[in-house]
Amino acid sequence: MKVLAAGVVPLLLVLHWKHGAGSPLPITPVNATCATRHPCHSNLMNQIKNQLTQLNSSAKALFILYYTAQGEPFPNNLDKLCSPNVTDFPPFHANGTERARLVELYRIIAYLGASLGNITRDQKVLNPSAHSLHSKLNATADVMRGLLSNVLCRLCSKYHVAHVDVAYGPDTSGKDVFQKKKLGCQLLGKYKQVIAVVAQAF
Amino acid sequence: MSQEDPAGENYRTTVKRNRVLHWSWESKLPLECAAHFIRMRSMVDDARIPKPGFWSNWSSWEEADAQNSLGHDPLLVFPKDKLVEEGSNVTICYVSRIHRDNISCYLEGVQIYGEQLDRSVSAFELKNVSFIRKRGTNVFCKVDQGGALGGIVLFVSKVLEEPKDFSCETQDLKTLTCTWDPGSDTGLSKQPSQSYTLFESFSGKKTLCKHRNWCNWQVAQDSQETYNFTLVAENYLRKRSVSILFNLTQRVHPMTPYNLFPKNVGATNATMTWKVHSIGNNSTLLCQLELLAEGKVIQQHNVSIKVNGEYLLSELEPDTEYVARVRCAYTNHFWKWSELISQKFNTAEAAPSEAPDVWRNMKMVSGHPTVSLFWKPLSKVHANGKILFYNVIVENLDKPSRLEVLSIPAPTRSTELTLDQCSYQIHVTAHNSVGPSPASVIVISGDPGNEEVESGRVNGTEDGFSVSWKPQSGDATGYVVEWCDGPQDLPCALQWKNLGPNTTSTVISSGAFRPGVRYNFRIYEISAKRMAHLLEKKAGYLEELAPSDNPQVVMSNLTSHSFTLSWKDYSTESQPGFIQGYHVYLKPKAGEQCPPAFEKTVLPEDSLCCKHTIDNPEQKTFVVENLQPESVYEFFVTAYTSVGEGPLDAFTKITTLDEYSHILIRIILPMIFCVLIVMIICYLKHQWLKEKCYPDIPDPYKSSVLSLIKSKENPHLTIMNINDCVPDAIEVINKPEGSKIQFLGTRKSLTETEFTKPAYIYLLPTEKNYSGPGPCICFENFTYNQAASDFASCGHFPVTPQAPPHQLGPLTSPENLLKALEQNYMNSLGEIPAGEANLNYVSQLASSTSGDKDSLPTNPPEPALCSEYKMQMVIPLGLASAPPSENSSLSSTTLLGQGEHYR
Repeated sequence: MKVLAAGVVPLLLVLHWKHGAGSPLPITPVNATCATRHPCHSNLMNQIKNQLTQLNSSAKALFILYYTAQGEPFPNNLDKLCSPNVTDFPPFHANGTERARLVELYRIIAYLGASLGNITRDQKVLNPSAHSLHSKLNATADVMRGLLSNVLCRLCSKYHVAHVDVAYGPDTSGKDVFQKKKLGCQLLGKYKQVIAVVAQAF
Repeated sequence: MSQEDPAGENYRTTVKRNRVLHWSWESKLPLECAAHFIRMRSMVDDARIPKPGFWSNWSSWEEADAQNSLGHDPLLVFPKDKLVEEGSNVTICYVSRIHRDNISCYLEGVQIYGEQLDRSVSAFELKNVSFIRKRGTNVFCKVDQGGALGGIVLFVSKVLEEPKDFSCETQDLKTLTCTWDPGSDTGLSKQPSQSYTLFESFSGKKTLCKHRNWCNWQVAQDSQETYNFTLVAENYLRKRSVSILFNLTQRVHPMTPYNLFPKNVGATNATMTWKVHSIGNNSTLLCQLELLAEGKVIQQHNVSIKVNGEYLLSELEPDTEYVARVRCAYTNHFWKWSELISQKFNTAEAAPSEAPDVWRNMKMVSGHPTVSLFWKPLSKVHANGKILFYNVIVENLDKPSRLEVLSIPAPTRSTELTLDQCSYQIHVTAHNSVGPSPASVIVISGDPGNEEVESGRVNGTEDGFSVSWKPQSGDATGYVVEWCDGPQDLPCALQWKNLGPNTTSTVISSGAFRPGVRYNFRIYEISAKRMAHLLEKKAGYLEELAPSDNPQVVMSNLTSHSFTLSWKDYSTESQPGFIQGYHVYLKPKAGEQCPPAFEKTVLPEDSLCCKHTIDNPEQKTFVVENLQPESVYEFFVTAYTSVGEGPLDAFTKITTLDEYSHILIRIILPMIFCVLIVMIICYLKHQWLKEKCYPDIPDPYKSSVLSLIKSKENPHLTIMNINDCVPDAIEVINKPEGSKIQFLGTRKSLTETEFTKPAYIYLLPTEKNYSGPGPCICFENFTYNQAASDFASCGHFPVTPQAPPHQLGPLTSPENLLKALEQNYMNSLGEIPAGEANLNYVSQLASSTSGDKDSLPTNPPEPALCSEYKMQMVIPLGLASAPPSENSSLSSTTLLGQGEHYR
């Protein structure tokens, strides 16, 4: 329950329920299982590629900025504290069909978006004066939201996929401070590793 | 109640029947690091039972073991997120699942050492921990060489301080404002900043303050006068409080007055008005009005008011900026002044209160006395406003005339007047927008008189020049000291200082005075008639310096034993000190002693030198004597002041003359002169000399050869005397129609000479009848030919050396020769009519020249020309007998080249 209360619920509200909030839900025809509020961009795949490229290009800097802000022993023990062994991270198969790749990408971005929300919240408390880190985390989260919207649009418009089951990482709110720092570092290390593969696949 | 024990901790409390006991206890050692055990016993605590009572038996130990729920991490560190206060002690431990010994722990990068509790647990006690940063401090343990790593974040808070300077006051008796100094902030990411709560004990009310250092409290409507406030500061670790008790009316701090304005501002007074916020009904406020000029309080007044304040400020200066400021306090019970309110204002202008300080400088321009008037700007105190212009009124004292009025706009500070020989009185007034100042009067005499006075010296000190003088007359109304601020070579910025009649000395100081500059001071006495008379002159230096340059020395009168040095162009007036004299340095050649009047000295570069000191600054020549002939000396002249001498420049080399050279000059020069005279004479009289010494025809009688011949060979051999030779006599027949004789030498005809009867004329001079130079007349003797003789002696035969060869012609060619003859005859006798000269005879004593072609035209009358022997030469008959042409007379001529003779 804590997971839903902290970072995931707001994200889901923004991504999925935005157009229906405060108004009666439209009746969706059976043969049109998904519908977008606005028509998708004509060059949607290029948009997705560019967003992936943008995320890939900033992932390393975000990672460095993060572990530097945590202080010792993080910068000098990356292998022990920031190794990308996130067990429940959604898989990605670069040789799959575009549809499959888009579905996997959607899961990954949803996972990362929720985790970034947790990290951003924690860092605002633990490192209130690390404004550069906060800014970078927010910028990455913004791009991810846009990317998630574009992927969903593509899946819906081309493959008529209206719903994708997603999984989220562990909630860090109950963890101790050192553990929060460590989990955030591991997540960003994994993100840096995965986003390079995904960007290459598209 | 608790009790410390090394092995454990006891806790004792009283519990009533049927109540559950809760005891919260925090272990020093984190529970995760070791199992904790607890047991309890009890006794009856009843007054009815006599003491001491009896304890029950201990219960069995109950174990609290947190290690079982730690998870599977290989290395764990405890306690997690511990918050402690600065200066306290904290125990940290780690639990290792891998059972290794090489585990080390670090705090801020520094390894810490602890105690091993068992095989997998170690504890570290950190004593007196200090605050590091708000976001906490990482403490971590790791297995060396690439093992596991675990850590915690330790939060160290600053100690919460007691609030300082806690006080409450009101501005309007409605709201109390309490303020305090909160001290340091104890906020961390683990702990928010401390909170403040205000509690009033009489009313029992409290309020949570929104700010760290102040809080508002609404005054109750029930006229509560006394308040007892407690301020409580609190964070997670500690609580602090401070209290005050006060009466509300004794804590009134009025609000800042407003609407402070000047009213009716004059030159010397102004009225200030202001308002205050009322405090309750009919409350009186005491207000303090301050007047500031140039940042200093010059007046202070207290005024009691209710709402509106007003006060008349007087004794103000005209045209001055003032600042008025007001603050008020509660009259019933003084607590604090209100904040100040300020207002600037300017008083009005007034007429200048003092006459300008005027001085003059007189000079003659084109025969007219010209007066330059100078005045100093009035000080702000005396100007009473902005000076707009100055009026200069010139009044002739000797004869009644119109006043001349000049108006000079400010800020001009001088003017020039051209006057005549009369005396004038000059009035100078300064004017601002209100009116004129009193006049400054100065009298100029038309006859400046001879004001030359002796010059003295004045010494400069750090404070300036101390100038003193002797009064001349008893009716002086004052004195003026005049000087120029700048160096002498710059235009004079005239300065002066007015002094009273009883003053005989003053100190002249100026920021423009510089060391090494001569300043000239003139002291004037001002008479009762306002006229100035020069009293004394003084010159001085603020600080004398050594001369900056040396004299330009000219050397003269060099002899073998002396030379003269002079530096007459060296000005002693423009030096950076009073010149006291000169040093003449002389470097003699090595080993030589210094000349008399010189003394040995050592130059700065450690070389030996001779020095002579001239102690008269006006002596600008010096004769260096007693030197060695033909020796090299080096000299150098420098001036010196009381501070020192000039810079050491390069020495000038000089070599004394040879001792005998002047004697040689006395002999050789006259000799050369004599030789020149002789040469000139010889040149002018070379003809005479030639004749005397080496004539072309030597006089046989004078020849030494003659005597030699006579004595050795023929005693009878004699030299023919020219007197023994009878010259040919020529009978000239006088023809009636007259005849013309061509004088070949002069090419003049003798037509003017007519012979009326036959006469003999000796055409060849003899020793007796020859009376002077004359033309040589040649007659052709047809028995021989004279053509080979010297043509120049008897005719002008214009054959030049540049003549063509055919004109000279080879004598072997009769035709050429004859042609040449004919041509020459034509040229020379062209003017003689044919047949007129019927006597043609050429004497054997043919005339001859010396052979010098140049001498012929210049010396035709030389008798020697016709006394030269010429060799006779046989001419072929054909050529010789060739009849002359009808139109020409034959005359002797020659075909030889010039200067050539056949002998």
